Amino acid sequence: MRSGTPLRNAAARARNASSRETKPAGSLLAAHNADCRPVKSGAGIRQMKFAIFLLAAALSAQDANWTTYHGNYSSTHHSALTQITPANAKNLELKWTFQAQSLEKFEATPLVVDGVMYLTEAPNTVVALDAATGREFWIYEHKNPDVTYPCCGKINRGLAIRENTLYMGTLDGKLIAIDAITGQLRWEKVVVDFKEGYALTHAPLIIKDKVLMGTAGGELGIRGFLAAFDAKTGKEIWKFKTIPEPGEPGHETWHNDAWKHGGGPIWLTGSYDPALNLTYWGVGNAGPDWNAKVRPGDNLYTSSVIALDADTGKLKWHFQFTPHDEWDWDSVQTPVLVDRVWRGRPRKLLLWANRNGFFYLIDRATGEFLQGTPFVKLDWATGLDDKGRPVRVAGKVPTPQGTVIYPGVQGGTNWFAPSYSPKTDLFYLNVWDDYSGTYFAWDQEYERGKWYAGGGIKADVQSVRRDRLARRDPKSGYGAVRALNPSTGAKVWEYKMTDVSEGGIVTTAANVLFSGNREGHFFALDATNGNLLWNIYLGGQTAASPMTYLVNGKQRVTIAVGHTLYTFGLRE
Amino acid sequence: MTIRFLLPLAYAAALAAQHSDTALKNPFQSPDDRARGGAFYRSQCASCHGIDGKGGASGPNLSTGNFRHASNDEGVFRVITKGVAGTAMPGFSMNGREIWQIVSFIRGLSASRAVNVTGDATAGRQLFTANGCINCHWLNGAGAARGLDLSAIATRLTPAEMHTALTDPSAEVAPEYWTWQATTTDGKTLRGQRFNEDTFSLQILDTAGLLRSVIKADLREQSLDHRSPMPSFRDKLNEQQLNNLVAYLATLQGAAK
Repeated sequence: MRSGTPLRNAAARARNASSRETKPAGSLLAAHNADCRPVKSGAGIRQMKFAIFLLAAALSAQDANWTTYHGNYSSTHHSALTQITPANAKNLELKWTFQAQSLEKFEATPLVVDGVMYLTEAPNTVVALDAATGREFWIYEHKNPDVTYPCCGKINRGLAIRENTLYMGTLDGKLIAIDAITGQLRWEKVVVDFKEGYALTHAPLIIKDKVLMGTAGGELGIRGFLAAFDAKTGKEIWKFKTIPEPGEPGHETWHNDAWKHGGGPIWLTGSYDPALNLTYWGVGNAGPDWNAKVRPGDNLYTSSVIALDADTGKLKWHFQFTPHDEWDWDSVQTPVLVDRVWRGRPRKLLLWANRNGFFYLIDRATGEFLQGTPFVKLDWATGLDDKGRPVRVAGKVPTPQGTVIYPGVQGGTNWFAPSYSPKTDLFYLNVWDDYSGTYFAWDQEYERGKWYAGGGIKADVQSVRRDRLARRDPKSGYGAVRALNPSTGAKVWEYKMTDVSEGGIVTTAANVLFSGNREGHFFALDATNGNLLWNIYLGGQTAASPMTYLVNGKQRVTIAVGHTLYTFGLRE
Repeated sequence: MTIRFLLPLAYAAALAAQHSDTALKNPFQSPDDRARGGAFYRSQCASCHGIDGKGGASGPNLSTGNFRHASNDEGVFRVITKGVAGTAMPGFSMNGREIWQIVSFIRGLSASRAVNVTGDATAGRQLFTANGCINCHWLNGAGAARGLDLSAIATRLTPAEMHTALTDPSAEVAPEYWTWQATTTDGKTLRGQRFNEDTFSLQILDTAGLLRSVIKADLREQSLDHRSPMPSFRDKLNEQQLNNLVAYLATLQGAAK
C-alpha cells in the first residue's frame, strides 16, 4: 500500500459526509478505498480530521475522480486538475498501457473512483484496473450471442457507477449490474428484444436511485426509447418513447405507418441539471435513413434534444435540430450545460454543436431557441429561422443517382465529446470541415432485424478509416480542433489536422486541452490559443474521448487508441 | 431460431459439395441464386459498399474479387455472418442460403470483368514488352512501383476500364499515384509519390526510387498533381493494338487460388 492512498480515500469519505445527494459521485465515493474493499462506517476521527485538512488544502475527491462517462453531469468534459500546465506539458510521458484483447473498436471512456479505473473492452467485457499501474483487479466477461445487431461495429462506450455497483448496457439488449469490488454479477435485466435490431451501446447515466439507458438501432427500423431502472433491482421505473405512438403528442408529425419503424435511437449518454431536475438526451436519425419519402412529416422526436423530468420521464420540452432528417444526422452529440451570461442576462444554457453543421444555443430551462450558426461548410440550408428551424435548400436531398451535399454523412461533428472551459469561456470541438458526401436513396421494405436505411453514401472522407495508409486529397476537407465563442459561435482558433478526427476533448483548469485523432496522435494544446504543447504518435486510430484523474496525488490523462488504453503523466 | 436451424443445413449442403479442397463450396450459385443474392445485397449491403459494389463511405470495394478478410467463398460467407472485428462490418442475421446467395452475387461482380475481349493476347504481350510498361509497373515479382501492380489487374479493371486507362490515364487516378512535389525551407525541390501522410510528416517514394521521410515543418510549400504520370497511348497505338494490349492485360489474374 502506498503512502497517501488511505488518507485520500478518507478525504473522499469526509467529503461524502457533506456532499449533496445530487452529485453522482457523492454516494459512491463513500464505498471505496484503495484496497478495493468496502469502507466500513466510523473511520478513525484522526484520519478524518486530516482528511478534511487535505480537502481544504487541495482538490475535492470529485475533482480527482472521473465518475461518469462525461466526467460531470454538465458534460463539460472539463476537469479542475491543474498539475499538467502549458508550461510543463512537454514533460508528459507514458505511465502505463492496457492492451485490450478485443480487436473491436475501442470507443470507451473509463471511470476512475479512488484509484480504481473501470472500463469496458468492446463489446461487453468490464475491467477494473489499478489506476496507478494499469494492472487488473478483475475482469467480467458478458457473453453475447454470436449474432447481435449493432449498426456499425461491436462497440461499447462505457459504464456508470453508483455506490459499489457498475452498470453496463449490452449488445444483446440487457442492462447489467456488477459489483465494483468483486466483479461479480449482481443482476441483469432484459431491456429490449435485441433481435428486433436493438443494441445498448452508450454508458448509462445514474440520477439519484435510477439508471438511465437508451438504445441504438437507427439503421434497423427500431423505435427508440430512453428508460430509467431502479438501481438496486433493475425494475423499470419509467420509459420515454422517442417515436410517439398514436394518440400521443408528436404523433401528428408521422403519417402512414412510418412511425412503426421510425428510428430515433439513443446511443450517447445524456446530461443532467440537478437544480431543474431535467435530463437532456440527443435522439438519433429517423428510419429509414435516406429514403425519407416514406415518412413525410417532421418525424418527432428524431434528430432532436429531449428534456425529461428525471423522476418521471415526462417530456418537459424538446427541440428538433433537423426536422424530417434525410441525411442520417443523428442529434447524438453531448448536451453541454453551461450557466453564463448571454446578451446581458444570466442564462442556463445548452450548447450543442450538431451533426447537421449548426452550433446552437438553447435555454435549457424552457427549450427556447436562442441562436444557431453554421460552424462548418454546409449547403443543405441557408440558415435557421427565428424558431431555429432550418431554411432548406431545394434539391439537397438523397436521390437514386446521388446528390452531393455538405457536410458529409458524419456531419460537422459527431458523438465524440466537445468541451466547455469556464476558465477560457470557450467551447471546444472536433470538426470535420469542408467535406461532402454523395447521398443515395432507394426503396426498401422493412424486415425484422434487418438493415433498413433506404440508401447509402459515397464520400472521399471515409466514415471509418479503413485504409492503413492515409492519402487524403486536401481538397476533400480536413479535421480540426476548434474553439468557438459560445456567445456568437465564431471561431476563436483552430488546430488543423490533415485527417479528420473521432477523438473527443477534455480541458483542464490549467488551460490544457487534450485530444487524439484518427492519424494516431494524442496531443495537448494550449486552450487559450490552440498552440501545440505536446504530441505523441501512438500508431492507432482514436475513436474515443480522453479523461483525466488523480491517483496517489498525481494527475494522469487517459485515452483509448487502437486496441490499447494509454495513460500519461508528468515525468518525475 | 431460423438462423440456428438453417445455418447447419447450408453448411451441410456445402460440405456435401466439396471435393479435395477443404474449403466449403458455395452450393447456391445458379443465376436465380445470384439474382436473389443481388436483392439481398441491395437491401443489406449497398448502404456501405455502394449499389455497384465499388465501395462507399464506410464499406470497401467488393467488386475486385480480392477481399482483405477472405480468400475464398467460405471466407466471404464467414465475414458476412461474423463481421470483421474493429470495423463497422457487423455479422448479419440472414439464413445460410441467403448468405450463400449474397456470396454468389458478390463473386459475380468480379467474374463479369473478363468478358468481351476481342484482341490477341500474344500480340498484346509483345506490345507490353516493346513499350517498356515494366519500367513503371510491377508484374509478377519484378518491375517498378511507379505505376499499378499489374499482376492481377484483370481482377481490378474491366477491359473497358483498361482501355480508358491506356488512352486517358488521368481519367481516374488513385491517390497513391498522384505526383507530390514540395520545396524545402532551404530551397530544395522534392518530388515523388505520396505513400502516407499525417499532420506532421509524409512518407514518399521519390523519383530516385528511394523511400523518404519528409517532415512537414521542413517544407515551404507542397502540392499534389492529380494527373497520371503515365503517357496516353491514344496516339501511339492503333485501336487493334490497344485491343491486343487489353487482351493481354485481361490474362493477368494474379496467383492461382
